[in-house]
Amino acid sequence: MILTRVLCVLLAVWSVYADPRIESEHFEEDLVIRPLKDGRTSARFSFTTTLENKSPRNPELLGEDDDSQHYTLFPLTLGQILREYAITELHLSLNAGKWNYDTWGMPDEPGVATGGELWAWIGDGAPTSVDRRWQGLRNALAGLFCASLGVMDEQRTTSPSRTFRPEGSLPDWGHAHHLRHAFLPSEHVCTENLTPFYKLLPCKSFSGIATLLNPHKLFDADWHGMSVHVLWKEDVGIQVRLTFQAVLDPVRNSWNNKRDWSLKSLFDRQIAQSCPVSSASQIRVSIPKDQPHLFTPQPSRVDGSYAVFDVSNTADVEMRWHEEASFENPATGKQEPVSALSVRRTLESVNKYRGSLKVAVTNNGGDDMQTTYLETLPWFVQLYLHTLRIECNGTRRGDLLRGATFTPPIPHSRPTLYQSTLTIPARSTVYMTLDVTKAFLRYTEHPPDAQRGWDLPPAVFVPIRTDGEGWDGVERVYTPILLVDLATPDFSMPYNVIIMSSTLITFIFGSIFNLLTRKFIVVKMEGDEKSGDGEEREAGRTGGKGGEL
Amino acid sequence: MDVDLAFGGLVAARLLLAFAPLPEQFKFDHLLSSPLTSNLRLHEGVYLFKNGVDPYSGGIFYQSPLYLSVFSTLLPLNRVSSPVIWTLVDAVSAYALVQTWRARSGVGKSKRDALLAAFYLFNPYLFLPSLAFSTSSISNMLHLLSIMFAARGETSPALFCLAALVHVSLSSILLVLPVIMLILGQPKSGLADPKPISINFKKGRAIGLEFLGHFSVLTLTSTLVSGGFQWMRQTWFVELSLLDLTPNPGLWWYFFTEMFDHFRPFFLMAFSVHLLIYIAPVCIKFQYDPLYAAFILTGVLGTVKAYPTLSDPGLFLTMTSLFPEILPYLRYPVVTSLIHLHASLLLPLFNHLWLSQGTGNANFFYASTLVFGIGNGVALMDCVWAGLRIALGETKEGYDVIQQ
Repeated sequence: MILTRVLCVLLAVWSVYADPRIESEHFEEDLVIRPLKDGRTSARFSFTTTLENKSPRNPELLGEDDDSQHYTLFPLTLGQILREYAITELHLSLNAGKWNYDTWGMPDEPGVATGGELWAWIGDGAPTSVDRRWQGLRNALAGLFCASLGVMDEQRTTSPSRTFRPEGSLPDWGHAHHLRHAFLPSEHVCTENLTPFYKLLPCKSFSGIATLLNPHKLFDADWHGMSVHVLWKEDVGIQVRLTFQAVLDPVRNSWNNKRDWSLKSLFDRQIAQSCPVSSASQIRVSIPKDQPHLFTPQPSRVDGSYAVFDVSNTADVEMRWHEEASFENPATGKQEPVSALSVRRTLESVNKYRGSLKVAVTNNGGDDMQTTYLETLPWFVQLYLHTLRIECNGTRRGDLLRGATFTPPIPHSRPTLYQSTLTIPARSTVYMTLDVTKAFLRYTEHPPDAQRGWDLPPAVFVPIRTDGEGWDGVERVYTPILLVDLATPDFSMPYNVIIMSSTLITFIFGSIFNLLTRKFIVVKMEGDEKSGDGEEREAGRTGGKGGEL
Repeated sequence: MDVDLAFGGLVAARLLLAFAPLPEQFKFDHLLSSPLTSNLRLHEGVYLFKNGVDPYSGGIFYQSPLYLSVFSTLLPLNRVSSPVIWTLVDAVSAYALVQTWRARSGVGKSKRDALLAAFYLFNPYLFLPSLAFSTSSISNMLHLLSIMFAARGETSPALFCLAALVHVSLSSILLVLPVIMLILGQPKSGLADPKPISINFKKGRAIGLEFLGHFSVLTLTSTLVSGGFQWMRQTWFVELSLLDLTPNPGLWWYFFTEMFDHFRPFFLMAFSVHLLIYIAPVCIKFQYDPLYAAFILTGVLGTVKAYPTLSDPGLFLTMTSLFPEILPYLRYPVVTSLIHLHASLLLPLFNHLWLSQGTGNANFFYASTLVFGIGNGVALMDCVWAGLRIALGETKEGYDVIQQ
């Protein structure tokens, strides 16, 4: 008996050591700096932790106790959430500001929707439903990042699987994976979100390029946002990528109107030491074409259009346009947009209960372009698809829109989901117009600042590659968010309304029943006397004779 | 068809009016169409239905699948067909009103016919919703047709129209009993000479069963058309649960906008059941004149139903023309007309001030719906009074009629 036990233990120990798929962890950090056309500078911090040869938790095993997880670099708090709800892929972004595609081009991180955006691919087959786990995930992340993600309830959750494809791979557990996606346009990112972000990094903000994450500078930027991406790649493992993106304006902060920058001037910090656990740590600076410039120090190498600096021997990076006396913003004049796609979206209100949604999509390229078009609107903005008008170059072109799928909203619960594929002819603009009506909410559904209006989530366009490379899905164009004002009831007098309406109904009800149930009699009117000696006649309920009593 | 030139002329005038260029705003007006009768939503429902999206899977379309099947196949809705369809619907309603009058008064063709038709076709409460192509015109047509067939003793058509009416507008269930009584009884005026009646319960049961038969066939057809039972939730249940709080000239919407969430189910139940309470007393009291009972219950619907538009009280007001004998006994017709005049000016004005101009708030419009509710309630009470008072005939000098 004892012998078999010992044998079992030995076998188990041996099997662990013999397993070729040993788990190991990797950490890499990367900072990309791109000088933009309007003199601003975009900076994207990226911190990637890889848990090699590990796969997400199988939702079928959610009922059982989880295997114990030991991480050295992988953020434990995030790992626990992912295991608890068996999340396969997760993307969270919290941004402030409007990404200006026309002058800034496509962002390094595609998720630049204003406010919060959370989407996750969740495997089915668990004892608890996907929606329940999505709810748990929202609440857990809300606690982790100090953001109000908990309000991304079923009133905001959609499943736009045509627009948000998984970026990694989905394990085949014999059950389907479902997408849950929610926008929270009114959410703002601030320091309280950055602090938990530091805590997920192995070196916190003490060393490596994370030193540069100076909240005073980052939240002073023209655009800033942070995001968390968790995905599983079959041949790599689970990857957590934490990113911070900001568009800083060196021209605004310079005394002589120059766009020269250094890490010190941008972030008011320098890298004192590199992060010891990082296996790769580099700063990449995009090299502007046809503009004389100088780097100090010299880049360690040049990789394509990027100058690469190794953090281990670089404290500061400086870039100067030495031949430029002062920066002239070319974007102030008429200027070709940098991005292939320009989108404008407005909601024109005729009055407080109806309006029209207008979307103008411009293809700046010389070839026809196909994009998916995603519109998610809260239930209180109702789209009327039969009123959709598509115009291009002054003619009606209904044929440009294909493959529309529509999930109608459910009042007080589900949002509208509209997805379609739009073809935009070369160098032209497609105008779409849709009638909308705005619903009337219960007085308890209005926020405390009801007159401010409601933020509507952005529309999303995903260009489809037609050059045979198939789905890309990484380039997404978010429109700016909209503000819609809804008719408000009076908030001060619910009691009065209840009392007055009830009184009127009772008055009608009472009077009619009074008439129906009481006997009609004829009385003699003699001055003020109402004596019984008068002539009385009665019309009874069922055939009063009308005779004299 | 025994209609005269005057009737044709009236319909032609209405047709011209229907083709007149009307502001776009008409289709969105809260007084003319509710979410349950809106033409915009009907278009959207038909569009979704044709494009393979279940219109009942969300909160866009709250109308019967029968409308979907009719308007997506037989009668396509467009710029030309809609005015024609809605004018014809109103013409049929006016014709039904005239025929009901003939059955009630026992006279054939008379000069009063044109007057009755004009009363229907040119009642602003009725023709404005019709110009907005609200489906309340269609339910009004079914309403009047079922009464007409019942008055003429044509049992099956009456029951079919009644079943269709209840199917498209659930609260019209109030009319089932009086219409069955009308089929069993006679349409002649019995108000001045109330007599207890004997009801042939055996026949009544057969009629009731036939009604249920028609109703189940319509329900089954709707289920087949829409491919599921979801439509019941999106049509009947919406009327009971008031999911859509779009303003209307009725009394429910603001009450439930301002209602505390934990009392909502209770008051929804109270408001719905409250409507049903009217059936029995009205039908018992006016058993000798079931047409009058149907008329009073129409008034109840126009005053306190869930999603009324102007066309519901409008139908009640127009139906008063069927009962000229009560007119001398109305207690305060002038007051009622003035309240109606007042309310019909206030309603659009305050709706505009609140929702378009932004200079008034919701209470303005709520106040005008209360005034309108008082106007309808007073008209209803007056009609009940007059219908009972007429039995006592003229009083001598120095005598008065009171209630004990």
